[in-house]
Amino acid sequence: MKEQKYWSPYVAGVGLGLTLLLAFVLMGRGLGASGAMMRFEVWFMGLFAADHIAANPYFSKYAINPLSNWLVFEVIGVMVGGFISGAMAGRLKFAVGKGPRISNKGRLALAFLGGSIMGFGARLARGCTSGLALTGGATLAVGGWAFMFAVFAGAYATAWFVRRQWI
Amino acid sequence: MNETTITSGRMNLGVDPVLHAWGWEIPLYLFLGGLTAGILFFSAIFYLRGKEDVFRAGIKVAPMWVPPLLAIGLVALMLDLSHKLYFWKLYTTIRWESPMSWGAWTLGIIFPISMAWAATWMKDVFPNWDWKFPIVEKTIELLIKYRRWMAWSLIVLAAILGMYTGILLSAFNARPFWNTSILGPLFLVSGLSTGAAFVMLFSKNEQERKRYSQVDMVLIGVEIFLIIHLFMGFLASTSVHIQAAELFLGGPYTAVFWVFVVGLGLAFPLIVEIMELKGIHIPAKLPAIMVLTGGLILRFIVVDAGQSSRWLYKFME
Repeated sequence: MKEQKYWSPYVAGVGLGLTLLLAFVLMGRGLGASGAMMRFEVWFMGLFAADHIAANPYFSKYAINPLSNWLVFEVIGVMVGGFISGAMAGRLKFAVGKGPRISNKGRLALAFLGGSIMGFGARLARGCTSGLALTGGATLAVGGWAFMFAVFAGAYATAWFVRRQWI
Repeated sequence: MNETTITSGRMNLGVDPVLHAWGWEIPLYLFLGGLTAGILFFSAIFYLRGKEDVFRAGIKVAPMWVPPLLAIGLVALMLDLSHKLYFWKLYTTIRWESPMSWGAWTLGIIFPISMAWAATWMKDVFPNWDWKFPIVEKTIELLIKYRRWMAWSLIVLAAILGMYTGILLSAFNARPFWNTSILGPLFLVSGLSTGAAFVMLFSKNEQERKRYSQVDMVLIGVEIFLIIHLFMGFLASTSVHIQAAELFLGGPYTAVFWVFVVGLGLAFPLIVEIMELKGIHIPAKLPAIMVLTGGLILRFIVVDAGQSSRWLYKFME
């Protein structure tokens, strides 16, 4: 099967907005991503170092049944939906999306580094682009909008330094 | 002397308010019992339909996994017994009204037949196989002549084995969530479905994978139908049954059951298998693994939820 073109970002954006609206209507909760990762990490760390989780004021808030949470199930749904839409568009294969000049290893290492910084920042800000900017922004929360502008400012300020990895 | 008068089974330790009798052993055994029943059922059926050259994985290879898998299940079953050395007492009597007796005898018969069935296929699968002893060789040559008989008995026994894993629970009427006759057919269909999925994991033949995938899709459809009727039956029953259903409809088992069993274990593989039939490229192992995992989680949830459903009070959060 031939690989199909990606959706127009404008159509996908409207779709994402409707998904967010549906999440509010059906589940009473907005979308999020990094919270699920954090809960997964708390659960995983709890398997080996339950004492550390209990002693840490941040982790201990989530220590009881960390995986029993809407975000965790939502992220499972995201994976299933992503798989199905990828299969329908004929895009189901192992590949590393990268610029022409960077090696696979280099791309993965940078992605891991960037993801770690992003995850750390998301917990400092109490939310990520989906949990805070999208969901918070939809409720017109000031923090959500301030965060969104900060994200764009930060991205414009630092993109110049890493642009060679993509072009 | 301190005398305790027990006037009800509920006064025993670990029975009320929540039954703490069964851990991981029973659900694992129920899963493996259903899985092996499914493998044997399809192996025998497709053999009788003369597909032995096409459906190699399903008819010849998969049954070789049955004795070890069933043995693991039986070890788990033994571990659950309080008096392990007395298991043989089940074989001193036949009680038609007891599912435990049905299960013990069915297992006692199907286990050796499944070993013989697998043995008759050894030389087909491994052409250089040598049985070492002439007497074994002769016996297996004799058995090969009786394959049709073995196949018919396997079909009947596999159906009983698959069905009994559910009846075992539903016969225990002290727990409202188990007290439904749908559990028997539900576990049978789920077992057949996991059996078909197991073959899909190994099959290298396009035609075989397609046929097992079609069979699996029908079984998943039936399973979803049975699950809907399970809850319709509970909701139309007495208030303890309604409360048992509420464990899954807003209660503590809601998310795990609907996401992992119905969503990821049934609906998702069904969608993916439909997509595959329509020619979209999907790794064939994926729906198979999802069905197997969903079947395992179903057994765990049904056993766990049944123990926490009860007659007198609503479930605890």
